[in-house]
Amino acid sequence: MKSRVPIPLRKLIEDKQSVKDKKQQEDLNESANPNSSKTKNQNPVQAQNRSKDTKNHQTKLISSDLQYNLDHIKKTLGNSSDIVIRDFQAGENGEIKLGIVYTDGLTDSASIQDFILNTLMVEIRNSDLNVAVLNPSDCFEMIKSHTLPVGGIVEITDFQKLFNHVLSGDTMLLMDGTPKGMALGSRDWADRGVQEPSSQTVVRGPKDGFTETLRTNTALIRRRIKDPNLWLETKQIGEKTQTDVAIMYLKGVANDKTVSELQSRINRINIDAILESGYIEELIQDEVYTPFPTVYNTERPDAVAAAILEGRIAILVDGTPFVLIVPALMVHFFQSSEDYYQRADIATLIRVLRYLSFFLALLTPSLYIAVSTFHQEMLPTPLLISLASQREGVPFPAFVEAVLMEVVFEILREAGVRMPRAIGSSISIVGALVIGQAAVEAGFVSATMVIIVSLTAICSFVFPSNSMAMAFRMLRFLFMILAATFGLYGIILGLIVMVLHLNSLRSFGLPYLAPNAPFILQDQKDNIIRLPHWSLLKRPRLIGKNNTDRGDVSPPKPPR
Amino acid sequence: MKKMLKVFLMLSMICLSGCWSSIELNELAIVTAMGIDKTEDGYLVSVQVLNSSELAGDAKSGRTEVVTFRKSGATIYEAIRSLSTDIPRRLYVAHLREVVFGEEMAREGIAKTLDVLSRQKELRSDFYMTVAKGSTAYDTLNVQTALEKIPANKVYDSLENSEKGWAPTRTVTLDELVSSIVSKGSEAMLTGIYVYGDPESGSNVTNAQNISPKSGLRLDYIGVFKKDKLVGWLNRSDSKGVSYITDHVKSTVENIPCEGEQISVNTTSSKTKIKGKMEKGNPKIDINVTSEGGIGEVECTIDLTKPEKIEELNKRYEKTIEAKIEGAIKTLQEKYQSDIFGFGEEIHRTDPKAWKRLEGNWEQEFANLDVNVTVKAKIRNLGTISESFQKEIEE
Repeated sequence: MKSRVPIPLRKLIEDKQSVKDKKQQEDLNESANPNSSKTKNQNPVQAQNRSKDTKNHQTKLISSDLQYNLDHIKKTLGNSSDIVIRDFQAGENGEIKLGIVYTDGLTDSASIQDFILNTLMVEIRNSDLNVAVLNPSDCFEMIKSHTLPVGGIVEITDFQKLFNHVLSGDTMLLMDGTPKGMALGSRDWADRGVQEPSSQTVVRGPKDGFTETLRTNTALIRRRIKDPNLWLETKQIGEKTQTDVAIMYLKGVANDKTVSELQSRINRINIDAILESGYIEELIQDEVYTPFPTVYNTERPDAVAAAILEGRIAILVDGTPFVLIVPALMVHFFQSSEDYYQRADIATLIRVLRYLSFFLALLTPSLYIAVSTFHQEMLPTPLLISLASQREGVPFPAFVEAVLMEVVFEILREAGVRMPRAIGSSISIVGALVIGQAAVEAGFVSATMVIIVSLTAICSFVFPSNSMAMAFRMLRFLFMILAATFGLYGIILGLIVMVLHLNSLRSFGLPYLAPNAPFILQDQKDNIIRLPHWSLLKRPRLIGKNNTDRGDVSPPKPPR
Repeated sequence: MKKMLKVFLMLSMICLSGCWSSIELNELAIVTAMGIDKTEDGYLVSVQVLNSSELAGDAKSGRTEVVTFRKSGATIYEAIRSLSTDIPRRLYVAHLREVVFGEEMAREGIAKTLDVLSRQKELRSDFYMTVAKGSTAYDTLNVQTALEKIPANKVYDSLENSEKGWAPTRTVTLDELVSSIVSKGSEAMLTGIYVYGDPESGSNVTNAQNISPKSGLRLDYIGVFKKDKLVGWLNRSDSKGVSYITDHVKSTVENIPCEGEQISVNTTSSKTKIKGKMEKGNPKIDINVTSEGGIGEVECTIDLTKPEKIEELNKRYEKTIEAKIEGAIKTLQEKYQSDIFGFGEEIHRTDPKAWKRLEGNWEQEFANLDVNVTVKAKIRNLGTISESFQKEIEE
């Protein structure tokens, strides 16, 4: 993955580190804190993390000497070539000395040209503004409130913030004689653009997917829920990456306790880098030692919007199209957003199919091992004969054969994901012909085993959520070992232990198997069965505790 | 400590279970048929083992689909175990389809052999029991059948099909056999099986390569038992009568005389109710048969469009069935004195007190039992043509 942090930043961080170390020795610096926290209250989004930052870093304040500031920036960033520093004079006679700093590539250079440089260098000259009478700080206020046609402006007093903004793509405006700077919103960088999600496709339903840019992602959700109660809280996590992590929820619908629990879990994270939402997922989940995911991830804005409307909370991480949703119960991993877009009857049948393929993906190889090595009497005689004839001459026991084939399949699958797309077809040919056909013809494996492996493979792709399929992939091998040692008895023991484990899981305090265990009759309308929308008028009881009412629609009736 | 206990309990759960021994499919010799014959000092057990690679898959080498092995021993169990010297694989009897007793063996009594069959945990009790009519059991396991590659399957399917569509044969499972032998109020019966044609060529793999096989297996006749000993065979008509009485007719064919020729009626459903009662201290049995059928074949010139003709046919249809039933009862009462119908059980159910008195001497009582047969039969349909064109041909 390409790091978005320019390399010279290391130096900055080292600087910071030394400052931090110093701080531990002399606690008297504490007095500087209220100063910095006062400066940035204009931006509620960023207000949150300030306290943490000031706690961790003793940072240098911006001086009123412009040249000194620019030199300091240059020095700290190691003269990196993508940092553009431009100083110029404004005012009728050039009496105001200004400087702008921005990172090339993370900024929209056209808007810097048009709205910042043009305004400050050209238009200000033509205005009847009498800058001569103003002192520098009044002038600074004047520029901020009167002159610059830029949307997002944040006042900055310390270098820590300054670097943060500059490296995030904002343009920093510094003025001689004022110990403050202005971060002007000019973020714009090369973006993949909104494309169809590659991991969760639908036949019917919206085809837009999240991108790597947080702002685009929040916009995609905001576009779907135009409600003032849709709240968005952002904070930066990662000492070095300073990744924006946003939580988004419907105030009044989402359980406040869950929200505050999530906030506290996120605040607890102290790590140098967050490169993907998977980092966050592993750092906030309830149970660490489980193959089952307790946090849902999706690339689909409509799925996130639907979850938010149910009262769940979305966690968006800058730099990844995968948005997390909590709480995530087991049933959620069996539901696709398409279930709600197509007719209720077929949606229900498809859900039944998913549960069926869940068991097939998990148990087919182990059932084959158990039945063919322990319980031959359970098979109908003709089936036994045909299985026995295929095993004739196979040199391995059924278990070894099954593990062999499953491992080969996992290798093929991994190869399929990793290899360059151009040689994809050659892998499938090699996989299908060499492994599938030749191995059977050579008598290394039985044809039944190829069928079983293909069946489990296909079944494991049925799930709308890849993370649940991963759990089965791992458990499948466990069940195969159990089947080879104890037969069906072992499989049943394994299933009992699995269900016990699932029962012990919680996702943000909610029982993982709800609404099946505990059984909630009211929520069965959207469990295995999906009833039509006119009967889905209550939010899931455990999730949307505060506000379960979704509306009041009677079933459609034709006019008489 | 508590955790240790939990772990210990879990582990013991695994260790105390019964299914430790796993065995691969290609290490099994799947036995589909077992024959039991009497020798001078024990038993001769023959087993028919599948050669599964010849039966399915595409790696066929032209060997026989089944192989029959035999071995004698003082007990059946010993004989089966000693077969392992001949067979390279473990004998696996869970998929047994049929057990055949040699006629000689059956006449001497089969009770002792049933113990080992009931005791074995591996055996599924869904196989059928038969008696080799006029031969040893080994002979019947030594025939390659056409169409069905596994002779035991042929027997199994033929038994089921002929019971459904022909009636004078019976499927008898081990449990049914044991319970009817043990019961005082009913006797056992088993269908006979015999080899037709030339037994020598029947055992050859080429037997099944002839369009008209030189030899084959045929099921016919019902063997009547008294206790555990075979006492004789019923002919086809009596066998069918037995099936009517015991309500085992699902579908069969009855021939009705008509103007010196025959009309075949296809019985499509038949229901029998047996009522036992005590009259003046004597047991009495009422048999009520309700049959329905359709005309399957007409050889005479009868005008089937006339209702009175049909009425007349109904009467004759009833007579035919009645004759078969009465014939069967007569044969069993007079010739064998064996209550294979379970009339004793019926008396036991209706009047347990009287049964206690009769029980000791039921064989004699059965022979003198008063049986009243009532048959109601109806022809429901005529087939796709109503009037036979025999008439037009003759004119």
